Amino acid sequence: MMDDLAAVARLSMVTKRLGGRVVLDGLDLAIRAGEVTALLGPNGAGKTTSVALLTGRLAPDAGTACLFGLDPRRPAARRRLGVMLQSAGLPDVLTLRELVTVHAGYYPDPRPIEETLALAGLTDLADRRCGQLSGGQARRVQYALAICGRADLLVLDEPTAAMDCGAARALWATVRALADDGAAVLLTSHDLAEADSLADRVLVMDAGRIVADDTPAALRARAGGSVIRCRSTLPPKAAALLPAVREAGMEGADLRLVSADAAATVRALLDADGRLEALRIVDATLEDAIAALLAPTEERIAA
Amino acid sequence: MTALTAPAAPAGIWRREALTEVKRSLRLPQFLLPTALTPAAFYALFTLALPHPQAPGYAAATLAGYGVFAATGPALFGFGAGVAVEREQGLIELKRVSPMPAGAYVMAKLAAAMTTTAFALALIYALAIVAGARLSAGTWAMMAMLHLASCIPFALLGFGMGMRMTAKGAVAVANALFLGFSVLGGLWIPSAMLPGWMQTLGAFTPSFHLAQIARAVLALPVTGAVGVHAVTVVAMTAAAGGWAWAGWRRSPA
Repeated sequence: MMDDLAAVARLSMVTKRLGGRVVLDGLDLAIRAGEVTALLGPNGAGKTTSVALLTGRLAPDAGTACLFGLDPRRPAARRRLGVMLQSAGLPDVLTLRELVTVHAGYYPDPRPIEETLALAGLTDLADRRCGQLSGGQARRVQYALAICGRADLLVLDEPTAAMDCGAARALWATVRALADDGAAVLLTSHDLAEADSLADRVLVMDAGRIVADDTPAALRARAGGSVIRCRSTLPPKAAALLPAVREAGMEGADLRLVSADAAATVRALLDADGRLEALRIVDATLEDAIAALLAPTEERIAA
Repeated sequence: MTALTAPAAPAGIWRREALTEVKRSLRLPQFLLPTALTPAAFYALFTLALPHPQAPGYAAATLAGYGVFAATGPALFGFGAGVAVEREQGLIELKRVSPMPAGAYVMAKLAAAMTTTAFALALIYALAIVAGARLSAGTWAMMAMLHLASCIPFALLGFGMGMRMTAKGAVAVANALFLGFSVLGGLWIPSAMLPGWMQTLGAFTPSFHLAQIARAVLALPVTGAVGVHAVTVVAMTAAAGGWAWAGWRRSPA
């Protein structure tokens, strides 16, 4: 029951229907302090709905949503929550400093404004009106609003979308530092490299349920270790029967194999096709691991 | 178990939110100027520029209705259209995931609407004085308070619209209500001078009842009892408030 004591936010047996479709189906999810948790999954898996429930914008049809022991729809529960939304806008005519100041004022023990601006890399823009910011700068303002209250839980929805590489890296560094200081961080992302480098824990969602809950390294290992690509005359169906192969398919003109033992697979592959070309072997990425997790479901839907 | 206790709300949220909102509206002269000038222009045209047999008492008498008229514009457009636009832009979403209480948002927008209304009222009162209206200080104060408070029912109605309608839809509906409330409520032409069917419909508008209360403040003849008008306005305001609150609760964004 370590889980229960350390959880700052959780969804328990949550079911949610939106527009007649079951978006969440008996979902259990817990966010723990001091950890960066990445919530990944295909579009429509229920990530956005989960975030909406945890931040108090939606109520579950069945089950409970809990934020620091309270209903997230109560403002009191959100006094320890900082949120960076994907779709939120900014009031055009306020300066960035005015906006951050009024937002920080919602929290009982806010971070000093200058510190917030520095962490978000906005010190030089502080007196600019929000309407004059670029897309990437506006994202940094959203990040500043998430951290200005010194919240114990940060929910970051696609934080680095529309940011350039440098800004994204700077944001990752501050998120890591905040988590190391004890904050819980929930991150949704389409950038799996971002999730891999930042997250302590990855939750993979599919069709309204959690299908995997593990560290990025353990998930990669589960995927089978290596991805082999080559130009070959061997059809995927035949390649799938080679030793240690877990998955076989075409990727453009390449034959793509996922193997638990690259050496054994490659030895047999070279024997089977003497004219094989352009052989490449890489470690499986988090993307491969997640694709492997989701594949059975896709087949089920297709069938 | 410190992890499971919520800290108290910091003091001054409502005040800071209101000041910020007023500052925002002052920085949007394209909204502020037309909404503040239109009622004064109407008052000048209908009451002062056009010759009227009942003058000069007429300048003071029509104040009752035009003051309510000055409150409907900022309240209906600032809330109805303004809230719908802010919802579409994702500004409300930003507030809703923050620890800001919903009431602070409503009060802040109301403060902004009342500020705009105050500008409009100041212009109308000034015109009335120029035209010869003479009232006691107490009557001026009572009337000003009533006219400012007139914002509240229209604002709550607008808030409910803003939480449900698209920006385009809310602007269209706000326009229709703005005209309907003004004409049927007897804000431009006193209710007693309207055709019977319009008077009947007017009884369903908050503007009619507010204008009648304002007439009572000015010691002018009132249709029906002032107490009934007051109770009706309070009931209409409560209904609009409930409708607005339900809209805030159920809206996903």
